Amino acid sequence: MSYPTSRRQFLSSLGISAAAMPFVLNLPSLGLGNEQAAATRKKRLVVMFSPNGIVPNAFWPDEEGENFTLKESLQPLEPFKEKSLILHGVCDKIRGDGDGHMRGIGCLLTGIELFPGNIQGGSDTPAGWSTGISIDQEIKNHLQKNEATRTRFGSLEFGVMVPDRADTWTRMVYAGPNKPIAPIDDPYQMFGKLYGRLKDQESLRSVLDDLQGDLKKISSIVSSEDKKLLDEHATFVRELEQELKAGDGKSLTHAVPQLELGIKEENDNIPKISKLQIELMVNSFAADFARVATLQYTNSVGGARMKWLGVEKGHHELSHEPDSNEDVQKQLARINKWYCEQMAYLAKRLAETPEPGGSGSLLDNTTIMWTNELGKGNSHTPDNVPFVLVGGGLDFKMGRSHKFKRVAHNRLLLSLAHGMGHSIEKFGNPKFCEEGPLALS
Amino acid sequence: MKLAQFHLTLAAAWLLATSSAIAAERTGEQIYRELCVTCHGMAGEGTKDQPKVLAGDLSIEQLTKVIDKTMPEGEPEKCVGEDAKRVAAYIHETFYSPIAQARIKPARVELSRLTVRQYQNVMTDLIGSFRPPSGWEEPGGLHGEYYKGRRTRGGDRAIDRIDPVVQFDFGEASPEPEKMEAHEFSIRWEGSVFAPESGVYEFVVKTEHATRLWVNSNARSEADQPLIDKWVKSGNDSEYRGSIRLLGGRVYPLKLEFSKAKQGVDDSKNQKKPPPARKASIALEWKTPSHAQELIPARCLSRRGAPEVYVCETHFPPDDRSIGYERGSSISKAWDQATTVGALEAASFFLEHLRELANVRVDEQDAGPRLREFCYKLAERAFRRPLSPEQRRLFVDRQFELAGELELAMKRVLLFIFKSPRFLYREVGTPQPDAFDVASRISFGLWDSAPDEELLGAAAAGQLSTREQVSAQVHRMLPDLRTRAKLGGFFLQLLKIDQVPDIAKDSAAFPEFSPEVASDLRTSLEMTLDDVVWSGRSDFRELLLGESIYLNGRLAKLYGTDLIEDSTFQKMTLDDGKRAGVITHPYLLSAFAYTSTSSPIHRGVFVSRSLLGRTLRPPPEAVAPLAPDLHAGLTTRERVLLQTKAQACQTCHAMINPIGFSLENFDAIGRYREQEKDKPVDASGSYLTRTGETVQFSGPAELARFLANSPEVHNATVERLFHYLIKQPIRAYGPDTLRRLRDSFTKKEFNIQELTADIVTEEAMAGKK
Repeated sequence: MSYPTSRRQFLSSLGISAAAMPFVLNLPSLGLGNEQAAATRKKRLVVMFSPNGIVPNAFWPDEEGENFTLKESLQPLEPFKEKSLILHGVCDKIRGDGDGHMRGIGCLLTGIELFPGNIQGGSDTPAGWSTGISIDQEIKNHLQKNEATRTRFGSLEFGVMVPDRADTWTRMVYAGPNKPIAPIDDPYQMFGKLYGRLKDQESLRSVLDDLQGDLKKISSIVSSEDKKLLDEHATFVRELEQELKAGDGKSLTHAVPQLELGIKEENDNIPKISKLQIELMVNSFAADFARVATLQYTNSVGGARMKWLGVEKGHHELSHEPDSNEDVQKQLARINKWYCEQMAYLAKRLAETPEPGGSGSLLDNTTIMWTNELGKGNSHTPDNVPFVLVGGGLDFKMGRSHKFKRVAHNRLLLSLAHGMGHSIEKFGNPKFCEEGPLALS
Repeated sequence: MKLAQFHLTLAAAWLLATSSAIAAERTGEQIYRELCVTCHGMAGEGTKDQPKVLAGDLSIEQLTKVIDKTMPEGEPEKCVGEDAKRVAAYIHETFYSPIAQARIKPARVELSRLTVRQYQNVMTDLIGSFRPPSGWEEPGGLHGEYYKGRRTRGGDRAIDRIDPVVQFDFGEASPEPEKMEAHEFSIRWEGSVFAPESGVYEFVVKTEHATRLWVNSNARSEADQPLIDKWVKSGNDSEYRGSIRLLGGRVYPLKLEFSKAKQGVDDSKNQKKPPPARKASIALEWKTPSHAQELIPARCLSRRGAPEVYVCETHFPPDDRSIGYERGSSISKAWDQATTVGALEAASFFLEHLRELANVRVDEQDAGPRLREFCYKLAERAFRRPLSPEQRRLFVDRQFELAGELELAMKRVLLFIFKSPRFLYREVGTPQPDAFDVASRISFGLWDSAPDEELLGAAAAGQLSTREQVSAQVHRMLPDLRTRAKLGGFFLQLLKIDQVPDIAKDSAAFPEFSPEVASDLRTSLEMTLDDVVWSGRSDFRELLLGESIYLNGRLAKLYGTDLIEDSTFQKMTLDDGKRAGVITHPYLLSAFAYTSTSSPIHRGVFVSRSLLGRTLRPPPEAVAPLAPDLHAGLTTRERVLLQTKAQACQTCHAMINPIGFSLENFDAIGRYREQEKDKPVDASGSYLTRTGETVQFSGPAELARFLANSPEVHNATVERLFHYLIKQPIRAYGPDTLRRLRDSFTKKEFNIQELTADIVTEEAMAGKK
C-alpha cells in the first residue's frame, strides 16, 4: 500500500489548496451536490483502457447498423446492447517519435505527437511525453470553469495494477504538454482521497468531549488572567464540535462505501482491485465528486497474467503471437472478454444506481468509452483502434455498430468534448481535425 | 582603540535665564493639572481628542525643550523656561519614562501558546525524536559516484570522489576518458544539504540529459517521489525546477542522479554504428527564500547523509509582533483551525510512517500493547513532561478501548494530543513551575523547540535545580544548529532585514547593481553575522567595529577591490579602514537608501531605533521626500536639513539627522565617496544621549566606535535579545533583571553567546522561588 509522500500531497489530497486550509472542516462545502447544480442534467464521461490490441474476428460485429451480433470479446455487453455503440474504422493517425505502444497510449487521448526524448522503445526513435493535454482533462477543465458543473475533484484517475514506473508506456492522461498524470491504482489510496476527510472528522469528533474535560482541568490551575485565554480556547473547541455536528449528514448523499480490507496489489488480485475501483468510481459519481474519470488497466504493453481465466502467460507476450496460433488468439479473445466484463460491470453498477436529485440512473447520464493503444497486437497497427461506448451521458445514438472509413481518432475526441458541452473545433494535431467531430448523435 | 570625544554640555543651562519668579512657586504637578490635564489626562493616558498615551524615552532635557517650544498646543508661550522644566521632570518621573511606565503598569508573564515558529520546530523535533539523530558534519561538497553505463548501480563504478559543487560541462567527452566512455555514463551525487533559513526553496537542475533529484527524501521506496523527476527526457527543456518547504537551520538528505544514455528498451547491442557524439553538462542550483538563484555552494553541501525532516505544511496565521517580538499570548479562530489541520496533517504522517517511527505494523500480533507504549512515549514528548496515571488512561488507554480498531485508536490518540493545550501551550502542566518547566524554558529559550531526551532526563533526575546545573545544560545546548538558527534570526531582525528589503537601484545610476549583487551582499552580511556570533570571542562590539567584509568576485569588482571574477566569498578589507562593522556594510547601506541617493533619515532612524533602542513616533503627517532634481545644487545633507527644519519635525529629526549624516560617505549602494555634487562630503554628526550628554563624531568609524561602547546600545541589545528569546516582557522578571544582565554582558566582554546563556538561565530559574 503506497501513501502520498509529501505533506503537500496530503493537503492536496484533501481536495483543496493550502491557502484554503483553515476551511478544511467547513463541511457544507464538502460535497457540492447543491440544489442549483441538480437543476441542469449532469453529464459524465469515463474512459477505460486495456492494452495490446484486440483479436478482430472475435471483436468487431460483422454487421453495421442497429441489427448486429456481439462476438465473443464483446458478449458481456449483451444486457446493454441497446445502450452500446461500437465504432470500427477509427484510426490513430499520429506518427513521430516513439514506438507503436508509446504513441499508442501517449497519443490516444491527446491526439498529438510525443516529444523527442530519451525513452527507447522496441523499435523506432526514442521519445518523451506527449506534447499536449488529454481530452478528459480538457473536458474537466471546461467543467471546472463553470460553477454549475464544478465538482470537488473534477476528474478522478483510476488504475488497476499500473507498474510503479513513470514512463511513456504507463501514462495515458496529461494535464498539458510534458505533464503526465499518474493514475491511482491503489483502491485504499483512492478511498483516502475520496473519504479520508470524513474519517478524520469522525475521529476528531470522538475526542472533543475528552478535550473539553481536560481543558477544564487545566483552566482550574492557571491564574484568573490566564484563564480568559483558555476560556476563549474552549469556545473554539465548542464551535468546532458544532460545525462537525452541523456538517453531519449534509455532506454525503450516500453511505461511505465499505471496502474489503487487506487486498494486496498483485497480479492475482486484479479482479478484486478492479471491482473495488469500479465501486469507488460509482460512489464518487453518486456523491458528485467528479464528472470525468479514467480507468487504466495495467499499461501499454501491459503483461497481466490472467490465471483466473486459465491464461498463464503475460498478455503482451501473447499478443505478439501470429494469427496462425489459434490457441493463443482464443486466449487473447478471452482476455479482452474479461476486460469487457469489467466495462459491463461498471455499466451494471451505474444502471442500478439512481441519479441523485435527477431522473433515471447514473448510466443514463454517463458514457463509458473503452479503448486500447493498438488495433491489433501482433501487427502493432494504429488502425481500427477499438472504441466501444456504453451509456447515455453524451446523447449519442446508441444500440449501433458503426463502421467508418479510416477516420482520424482526433475527430472522435472532438465528439466527446461536444457531447460533454465543450464545443471546441480542434484538438491535438489540427491536421486531423479538419472534418470536425464525428456525427454520433 | 581610540576613545571618541565626548563633548558634554549642560543642556538645561540656558533655560535658567528665562525663568520667571511666579512660576518658581508652583510645582510641576500643579502646572500639569492646570495646563495639560484636559488633553493628556491625569496620568498621561490621553483623552478623546488627544488619545496618544504620553509615554516615551526622551530625556527630561529633551522633553523640556519640546514643552517649551510647543506646549500647550497653540499657546506655547504659556509654559516656558522653568515651568517647562518642572512639568517635564514631573511627567518623566510620574508616568512618561519607561521606568515610570513599568511602575504604574506592572508586567507579568502571560500564559502563551506556541508561536508559529515554535509549533513548527516542536512538530519537527517530536517526529525527529523517533528517527536517528541528525548533525551537520563535513560540509564542503557531495559524494559523487560515476558509473559506466546508463544506471548508477552495480560494479560499473569508475570514479568515487567528493565534488564541492555540482557544475560540470563535460562537452562531448567522458568525465575521465581512461575510466569511462563518452557516449554513455551516469552519475549519482549523494549527501545532505543545509538550509540556512525557513521558507520555500526552489531547486534547479540544469542538464540536457535524464536526471532525478530527491530533497528531504531518502528514496527508500518507489513511493518516495523525487522533487524533480526528468528520467524521461522529453522535448528540449534543459532546466528543471522543483519547490519544497524547508525549516531553516536543519540538514536534509539530498540525492541527484544523472544519466547520459537512452532509457527504456536497451538496444545498444543492435546498434551497428557508434552513437553520435552528444554534449553533456549538469548544474545543481537553488533559489533560497531570500536570495537570487545561485549554484548551491559547497558550504551548504555535505557528503554525509541525513535522516528525513518533518516539515509542517499547514499554514498558521502569523504571530502578533506589535510590541517588537513574536509572542503567543493571544489566540484566534484561524489559529484554532490551523491547529486542527496541523493535527490532521501530523496524525496522517504518523500513521503513514508507523513502521519507521514506532517499529510496529498494525497487523502484527502484539501490535496493540506496543502501540500503546509508543503512544505513552509520544504523549510525554509532546507534553514535555511525564504523564500521570490518569493522563495515561485519558489520552491513550481510553481511546484504544473506545476505538476498537488499532489504526482508528492511533488516530484518536494523535488528534487528541495535537489538539491538547498541554501540547499547544507553555506551562499548563502543573500549578507551580517544576523541573520540566525549567527544561522547557531552556529549550524554548535557546531553540524555540521542545527539550531533547537528555534535558528531560536531567529534569526527571532532579538535576535542574541549581543555577550551575541549568547553566551546564544551557552550555551543552548552545552550539546546537537550532540555537544558531534562532540567534541568526535575531540579528536579521535587529538589522531590519528579516523581511528581504527591496533594494532595486536606479539602473542608470548603478547599472552593475543587479539582483544577484543584492543577493551576494546579503550572503556576505549573513556570513559576517555568523562569524561574529560563533567565533571564540563572540564579541558584540565586533559587529560594529569589524574591519573586514566577505566579498566574492562579483562584489569585489563593483566595490573596487581585486579578486578573480569567479572567486567564492572571502574576507577582505575595503576602503582602507574607512569602514567599521555592519553599519557600513553595503547591504544595509543600500537597504537604508533611495534608489539613486543615500538616505540619512533611513540610516539615522535605523541606528536610533535598532541600535540605540530609541522610540520614534511616525512623522505627524506623511511627507514625500524632496526630489533631488528640484534642488540640483544641494547635497543630500543640505536637502534633508531643508526639508526637516520645521519645529514639528525637529522633535525627532534633531536625533535622526545628525546620526544619519555621519554615514554620508556612502552612496545609495554603499560605495565609499569623498565628494557629492563636487562638494566634499560633510560626515560630521552628533547624538544627545538619554542622560543628556552630546556626543560628536565625524564619519562612520567614529560613529561605530561610539555605538560599540554605548551603554544605551548595550541596554537595548540585552532587552531586545531577552524579548526575542523569551517572548515575555523583561520587566515581568523584576526591575533589576535588565541591569543585572547588562552588567554581566559588560563583564563578560560583550560575549553574545554568554549573554544568550545568561538570559535563558535567568528565565529558567525565574519560577524557582
